Amino acid sequence: MSGSTRSNFILGLVLVAFSAVLLFVWIPLDTDTGYIEKVRRQVTVGDAAAPSIAALFLLTGGLLLIFVERARADQPAFGRRHLVFVLSFVGWTVLSLLVMRYAGPALVAVLGMDMEYRLLRDTLPWKYVGFLIGGTMLISGGISMVEGRVRPQRVLLSLVITTVMMLIYDVPFEDLLLPPNGDV
Amino acid sequence: MGTLDYIWLGILAVFQGPELFSMFGLPISVTIAMVLAGFLTGIMVGATPGLAGPVAMAIALPILISVFGYTPDALLPVMGFLIGVMKGATIGGAVPAILFNTPGTPDAFMTTLDGHPLARAGKAGKALRIAHFSSASGDTFSDIVLIICAPFLAILVERYLDLPEKTALLILSLSFIAAVVGGSPAKGLISTGLGLLAVYVGTGEDFYPRLSMGSTQLAQGFPIATAVLGVLIIGAVLKELDDLWRKKREVGTVAASADQGDQRLHGADIRRLFPYIARSALIGTAIGALPGIGSTLAATLGYTVGRARYQKRKAPQDPAFGEGAPEGIASTEAANSSVSGANLIPVLSLGIPGNAAAVFLILAADSIGGFNPGPSVFRFTADTVNPELVVAFGLFTTMMLANALNWTIGGLFMRSMGVMIRIPKHILLPSVLLLTLAAIYVQETRMEAIWFALVFGVLGYVMRALAISPLPFVIAFILGGNLEATARQAFAATGGDPWFLFTNPLAAVFMAASVAVIVFTARNRKAAA
Repeated sequence: MSGSTRSNFILGLVLVAFSAVLLFVWIPLDTDTGYIEKVRRQVTVGDAAAPSIAALFLLTGGLLLIFVERARADQPAFGRRHLVFVLSFVGWTVLSLLVMRYAGPALVAVLGMDMEYRLLRDTLPWKYVGFLIGGTMLISGGISMVEGRVRPQRVLLSLVITTVMMLIYDVPFEDLLLPPNGDV
Repeated sequence: MGTLDYIWLGILAVFQGPELFSMFGLPISVTIAMVLAGFLTGIMVGATPGLAGPVAMAIALPILISVFGYTPDALLPVMGFLIGVMKGATIGGAVPAILFNTPGTPDAFMTTLDGHPLARAGKAGKALRIAHFSSASGDTFSDIVLIICAPFLAILVERYLDLPEKTALLILSLSFIAAVVGGSPAKGLISTGLGLLAVYVGTGEDFYPRLSMGSTQLAQGFPIATAVLGVLIIGAVLKELDDLWRKKREVGTVAASADQGDQRLHGADIRRLFPYIARSALIGTAIGALPGIGSTLAATLGYTVGRARYQKRKAPQDPAFGEGAPEGIASTEAANSSVSGANLIPVLSLGIPGNAAAVFLILAADSIGGFNPGPSVFRFTADTVNPELVVAFGLFTTMMLANALNWTIGGLFMRSMGVMIRIPKHILLPSVLLLTLAAIYVQETRMEAIWFALVFGVLGYVMRALAISPLPFVIAFILGGNLEATARQAFAATGGDPWFLFTNPLAAVFMAASVAVIVFTARNRKAAA
């Protein structure tokens, strides 16, 4: 927390602008009924009404930030550090999830299997390939980021943790599908 | 069917439900086993810094639903487990707070103030016993208030509130939660607005799915699990990882002090602590009954009131609050534990979740079906059996069962959980992230759900970084559909009166209160700034 930041004022401005876009652009252009709709001589509430209430909440919150809470002493400093963290950690998570999604089909293609992944996704070891590789990547990446270095024993530990998770979800329950086997 | 018949049916539903095994010839129902499993799990996660009850609930829910299926028989075992977790996590949080000066859950922060000095003085066992006794007392008191109040409140709501008043009451609840959660009414309103906006994407009554921007993915709306788990769990994981990343985690061994002397809790101790426990239990219960006000505030208030009393009565040689006073632990633990039962009053009587645990109970009920928490549950039908009412009394029975477990084995299990502090947070958090994403996938079975959850997770992280509480978002997401449906019905029932919220006197009072609570809180904050 920092008393010198103006994050409340900036957030307030962003929220006021966003709610204006919501009220005057997004809601009118992206709903087919207005606030009140006449259907077979009956007047009903249209689909635009509820999102407009949401926009009014945002607008009121934004205005309060600008006019009432702009000078509060306990405003958080939101900046480059947060963006760097989000971009690096969430970026790594996205990459791990993409590996989770495509590792199985890619391996099937590389190994030149007779069948496509879709037909193999309920058989060993194929049904675990994506989750195991992607999951290990995700966990070991998170650990390594905090520790500031990549250690083989942490990668091994991540593999063990992912395997335990896989066993918890998949082995006792026949109807549960691990990612990405419900999609492919 | 009379009231006593319903109570008896509820008790039977728990004790004579599907049998898991028998012990000494007595059948043990699956619900009893699930309450026990949930309670022990709750103590473990509560005792683990970085985890909390909602995380365990989020991960367990898809597994439980997969085990028990989507039948009404699944309601009590699944919700019994969640209630067990809720209660266990409350007492578990005190363990690392006392032993290692690290609160296991945020509401155990005040417990560190006196608990850890006592532990350092060689009285860790006694401090844990005081925390357990106070916590169990506060929790039991709160549950009794819930069981007495919720049905009456629900009956009053059903009898006196029509559709316009119910719509206004939902708006009042959202305003109240926005105003009081997180310390900034402006940010509370923003969190509420974002939650409402998210739930309205891809829904509506028209053929065209509103706000979907022509995307087939958005046209189905956001599944409730992606929004709730994303903002609540993934957002929290990202924030904690960010904090660890900044500190580059000091990996060191945590030393516990050795116990010295008498560690037992005697009758004289209990008599001395009782006035503090009673006051804090009342404070916690009163705060818990209001949706959105968390156990952290209850703990702070209970501690403050306890300190004021203690300063007047303490002997000169007694330690002051903050230096290892047993009364400090009792005041805090009784207050934060008595929030949990009372927090279910708005859920069961109004259908309005007041905290994260209640959110997961609603999620479970919503996923399984056959039970819609709200005033309609408490219809005491005379000629036919109302199955929802039986489930409600079954839930009350599971709460009392969890209390019985708390009084009997809770203390022993809690005192053995000091080892949980040794699980490194930076290994735990990415594991929780993967487990949560997997839990979402097994419910939704499409990668889109994972992407949505990740986006909501980033939103939850940004909200936390900007000091915006995610709880109003989650509650607004859950109540948004109900708010719109009630408003539509009220509009139709009043013959298309666009001012239905203001022409009905009680609804107008609720609406005035909605505005007043925001104005009043905002003015107070401005004065405090």
